[in-house]
Amino acid sequence: MLAQSVRTALAAIGANKMRAFLTMLGIIIGVTALVVLVSLVSSATRAVTDEISSLGNDLLSVTIRDDKGKPLKSADLAQIAQDSTSISLIAPVSTSSATAKQGTSTYSLTLTGTTNAYFWIMGSELAEGRFLLDADLKNNTSVLVLSYETADEIYGRTDVVGLELALDGVKYLIIGVLAEEEGLMTSMGDNYTAYVPYTVLERATSAASGGGASGMSGAGGGASSGASGITSFYAAAKEADNIDLAEAELTASLLGLLKGDEDAFSIRNNNSLSETMASVTDTFALLLGAIAGISLLVGGIGIMNIMLVSVTERTREIGIRKAVGAKRLAITLQFLIEALVICLIGCALGIVFSGIILGVVNLTVGADSSTTYSFSPEVVIVAVGFSTFIGVAFGLYPANKAARMHPIDALRFE
Amino acid sequence: MLQLVDVYKIYHVGDEEVRALDGVSLAVGAGEFLGIVGPSGSGKSTLMHILGCLDTADFGTYYLDGRPVEFYSESQLATVRNEQIGFVFQSFNLIGHMTIAENVELPLLYRGTKASERRELVHEALSQVGLWERRSHRPNSVSGGQLQRAAIARAIVTRPSLLLGDEPTGNLDSRTGHEIMELFCELNARGRTIVLITHDQSIAKRTNRVVHIRDGKVVA
Ligand SMILES: Nc1ncnc2c1ncn2[C@@H]1O[C@H](COP(=O)(O)OP(=O)(O)OP(=O)(O)O)[C@@H](O)[C@H]1O
Ligand SMILES: [Mg+2]
Repeated sequence: MLAQSVRTALAAIGANKMRAFLTMLGIIIGVTALVVLVSLVSSATRAVTDEISSLGNDLLSVTIRDDKGKPLKSADLAQIAQDSTSISLIAPVSTSSATAKQGTSTYSLTLTGTTNAYFWIMGSELAEGRFLLDADLKNNTSVLVLSYETADEIYGRTDVVGLELALDGVKYLIIGVLAEEEGLMTSMGDNYTAYVPYTVLERATSAASGGGASGMSGAGGGASSGASGITSFYAAAKEADNIDLAEAELTASLLGLLKGDEDAFSIRNNNSLSETMASVTDTFALLLGAIAGISLLVGGIGIMNIMLVSVTERTREIGIRKAVGAKRLAITLQFLIEALVICLIGCALGIVFSGIILGVVNLTVGADSSTTYSFSPEVVIVAVGFSTFIGVAFGLYPANKAARMHPIDALRFE
Repeated sequence: MLQLVDVYKIYHVGDEEVRALDGVSLAVGAGEFLGIVGPSGSGKSTLMHILGCLDTADFGTYYLDGRPVEFYSESQLATVRNEQIGFVFQSFNLIGHMTIAENVELPLLYRGTKASERRELVHEALSQVGLWERRSHRPNSVSGGQLQRAAIARAIVTRPSLLLGDEPTGNLDSRTGHEIMELFCELNARGRTIVLITHDQSIAKRTNRVVHIRDGKVVA
């Protein structure tokens, strides 16, 4: 009986092609809007979240606000890493700015004082030379690693290992140049960075703040305010899945070191950044989905309207069918399936249409960006589900109206 | 086979009460060919609809094969219409967008008959009314007599024991009408119980027995 109902429905639709198509148009537009908008948003979202996780979703960034008079030392960091089961590397980070002089030009650089671990945590790669090594830190050697963009900006080339660069009048030996980075985030802002041994930067800044009494504030004075200790560092979890455990362990260690004061430090988790990002774009997708849903709803009302017309037009047919023994269920099914078939044909056309639109978007907008806009399979399932729902929801009333007709009244209908 | 006991059907049009059937009692035996005659508006069609389970009586009881129909549910009535009764209307009542064969097949679809068996039964019914050659025509491309033949084929395709005709010759010229009547007589000869409404005395003469109705009452 179901196959028969589908055949009858197709025949009825075929008998009124133009009308059926106009009715479908609402569903076609609704489905197209739904699939295209949600696919665009989720493709863009995927691009952004991929970008964020490429920054390291195994990364914790820690800031110490109050060291309780006991500055954090490298040894403390090493101890934390050793105590923890889930943290692989910790790298102290301090930043400062410096002016580089090359020939007659000057450049303003961001100096990052750190250790070898930093490059591993960041997943940096080298274009030339080497990273900072432990020996550089131990010996306070004035060496630096340049980012690709920085070398390119200052020298116009990157094979600059072995040259000396003067930063605020102090000469540094260039030991490495990082590989060029690609991606959305790195292209934002033209920040020129040079990496120097943590100890070297610490000494340089304390010398500057120490002013005239620079000779006194050396290794001798333990409680010197100049040696302010580590105020920020990065920690990497052994596995990205372990990031929450790593954060918990790190929190415990820091609470121990900082006399249990939760407010003395803060830990930022990159995971939460991508989660926030994802929830923002999810909301966005939901909003667009709701708009598309409303247009589908309007399409559904169109279907209900045309089905009511169809039921009225075919009142006599309904009477005849009942006279020869059609039960209510059979009549209900006939009209319900007709509504459903209209919806699903509309849905199929909408999906095909969306595929064409997404293809065109990829050829035009997508051609010069790394993002490809693809169907998200979920939205296709949602579209089919929604169309089915609309067909049933808006077909039910007309179908019921047909099924409830009294055979004699229906046969008498002119 | 059929028995009506004091059946009433009352319509209310505004404040007015129309007694379409006003206490009708009637019995039809198996294999009988009954003619019903009466003036227009006397309640013939109303009576026929009740006999055909298309409508139900307001008061009184209709026994079909000894069982009172008033206790049947709507779906049971549909089954009775499908399996036990064939109905032929004055205005043919074929579905316009379906072929003659599809129209004839319709009752079998609602019965759930298998496709192969359906083909066989449709062939048998259409052959019996001499319309097999026209099976793939649509109703708008055949004559009135052929339409009524198709309607009769649809009525007998399920091999019902009871055949009802509400002025089946009313829309046909007298020659075609007599051809159709011939068909009914043939079907009756094969053992079907037939109840036929007619205006035409010459048609009524060919039945076994004639019942006259006037103002919703059986008069003779
Ligand atoms: N649905 C209805 N509502 C109101 N009155 C009705 C209805 N159906 C029938 N009637 C009335 O019932 C009476 C009997 O009608 P019915 O159709 O049975 O007459 P009939 O004998 O078949 O007439 P005809 O020979 O013209 O077909 C008529 O007076 C008619 O007006
Ligand atoms: Mg009548």
